[in-house]
Amino acid sequence: MTSKSKLSRRSFLATVGAISAAAVVGRSGRALAGEPINFATWSAAVDTVESHIAAFEAKTGIKVNYSNSPWAQYRETMITKFIGKAPIDTLWVSDSWLPEWAEAGWILPVDQYKALVDNSDVEQFCVDSMTYKGKQYGITYYTDYMAFIYNADMLAKAGIAAPPTSWAEVVEQSRIIKDKGLTQWPVLISMAQESWLIEFMTALVYSNGGRFVDDKGNAVMQDPAHGAGTALRWLVDAVQKHKILSPSCVETGELAVLKAFSSGEHAFGLIPKYRLRTLNDPAQSKLAGNAKIALMPKGENGSNATVGWMRFYGMTPRAQADAQRAADTVKLMEWFGGKADGEYKFQKMLFKDVGSGFGQKSLFNDPEIRSAYASYGDVNLIGQQQSLARKKDVVTPWFGEWNDVNGTAWQQAIMGKVSVEQALNTSAAKWTELKKQS
Amino acid sequence: MTPSAIIRPARPNLRGALTYDERAALLFLAPLAIVLLAVAVFPILYSFYISLFSLRLTRPGRMPFVGLDNYLTVLSDPHFWQAVERTTYFSVLSVAAIVVLALLIALLLNEEFSGRRVLGALLLVPWAIPYVANALMWKWIYDSNYGALNGLLYQLDFINSYMVWLGDSAKTLPLIANAFVWKEVPLAAILLLVGLKTIPPDLHAAAKVDGANTVRRFFHITLPQLSTAFALVVVYETMMAIRHFDLFFILTEGGPGDASNVVAWRIYVETFRNLSFGTGSAMAYVLALATLALAYVIIRALARRI
Repeated sequence: MTSKSKLSRRSFLATVGAISAAAVVGRSGRALAGEPINFATWSAAVDTVESHIAAFEAKTGIKVNYSNSPWAQYRETMITKFIGKAPIDTLWVSDSWLPEWAEAGWILPVDQYKALVDNSDVEQFCVDSMTYKGKQYGITYYTDYMAFIYNADMLAKAGIAAPPTSWAEVVEQSRIIKDKGLTQWPVLISMAQESWLIEFMTALVYSNGGRFVDDKGNAVMQDPAHGAGTALRWLVDAVQKHKILSPSCVETGELAVLKAFSSGEHAFGLIPKYRLRTLNDPAQSKLAGNAKIALMPKGENGSNATVGWMRFYGMTPRAQADAQRAADTVKLMEWFGGKADGEYKFQKMLFKDVGSGFGQKSLFNDPEIRSAYASYGDVNLIGQQQSLARKKDVVTPWFGEWNDVNGTAWQQAIMGKVSVEQALNTSAAKWTELKKQS
Repeated sequence: MTPSAIIRPARPNLRGALTYDERAALLFLAPLAIVLLAVAVFPILYSFYISLFSLRLTRPGRMPFVGLDNYLTVLSDPHFWQAVERTTYFSVLSVAAIVVLALLIALLLNEEFSGRRVLGALLLVPWAIPYVANALMWKWIYDSNYGALNGLLYQLDFINSYMVWLGDSAKTLPLIANAFVWKEVPLAAILLLVGLKTIPPDLHAAAKVDGANTVRRFFHITLPQLSTAFALVVVYETMMAIRHFDLFFILTEGGPGDASNVVAWRIYVETFRNLSFGTGSAMAYVLALATLALAYVIIRALARRI
């Protein structure tokens, strides 16, 4: 009989124990650093994001756990995750939430990571939007602004040679178009209670030379000379006096405005610039080829300024708690928000995918970008308007609560329930109350 | 006296107190009880506990105990009482319409005619549609720019141009009530139909012999006999109307202005948008207690007539 070397129970257990101990010790030694980077976004351009993550993993060997949630519930979802200490290292953040999340300590400044704070090529309003109390909290994801878009075909039929350059001209041209029976409601602006509302309001306020708050954060919206009165008065008159804007604007959301404008039944609209591609897409719009961008009309004491918004990649305390993990996270953030292999790859991919804007000024000179823009818009004008975009002046930790009251007040003024002055006084009072409580 | 003579009180013996069947029943009910405790009882108690603190999710680590201050804040807020007024208007309008329409449908389905079963099945369709799908459908119907309602009225020459529906604050609540009634009538009709089926036919036969016509039989026999069913429908639909949220979320988000800013919407905004769990919970409890009190009053009032 051949003798077999028997594996005794004791030696087997000892071997397994040694292997397990080594695994645990080895693992805990790089416990956080060795785990994948957790990257959370809302559900936009998911395929594009995934493909860029795959390229990052192939290049760096760093694994990424990618998750996404619907935009409509993203803020609440992320806050729940922050409270529940879910593992998140980097995530998309909206400029509107920066003060709230920074004050709560859910995202941290990134000034110490040089790769993320090289803003030489970034639009100023983007940098301003990522900065809170003097510290920068991320690197740009995408940016856009509120555009003034007109129906070139309708203007031509009305015998109007050029789009309006002032809000007074918008009224004049609207009356001409309406008198010629071309449309009942020449102007289309969304005033429904949704997250877009503040963008529409701010574009009107800025272009009319006004502000909601001053540089110290005190309410000036009620100031007849420098506040939001001129803008709100224009809206109220457009609905009630000139009848060029439908009273249904208070129930019409941004998406409904896009669909309505693409029907070709309106002459002028305030629409996010990235929608220009959809409006000129024959597969999606009857207006294709005739949706043109013009500089934001000016108020009497205003300018061509508009509101810009941006989203950025933020970094959590979890990521910054470990040096290696922080380094890996910074690499991922730079891969997406900065340059990948020496070029703004993700920004261009996103632009090609959904037509979304970018915060890097030099991309307006990129031949591919210029060529794409030229197929549906005036790239020089688009760039010029972006350079005139400013960040919202109301983004504070109490912005959300004030926004509901302000939106309600504006709607009530448009419906004629309260005067413009009453609406803005209500809004100002709420701002002051919340500022005092903060 | 010997120790054995000392009389000791009998120890409680659960095995002896309960029969085998009773013990088995408790055992089988235990999992359900645990689940109910976890998903129903605990959240109710915990939300009351939260309502005694100033808890805002955006201020983690700061949760001072404030006692009943949150309740006082809610009850002293004039916007809350305006929301109560709108909620009351919406509920009264809805419940009245539901009761009347459900009764008419139940009376129709109680008659024998060809196609009665098909009609009954069709009338159940609104009830089968999920609440959110129902809301989205009505959002499309009411849309002022391209809605089906405007399209239909325009084609039939009832209007010369498209009208503003949800954006008109005078029409907002009645339109939302209409969408709510459309969804709730089938269930109410079924409950009333069941009530109609339980009325002994001898009562009607005897009344006919006594010379009572249809109208008199309806008011003196049918309606009194339906008291219990009415009580059930009114209580149930009132509770549903008071705390209804889906239509307000999908159709108007509390607007235009604050035309549809009802209590349920305020609770949602305070809790899930402002992330103020303390005051949001307090508001929810005020609504719950008010609903409970109202249900009690309605049941007592209708019970006296039964």
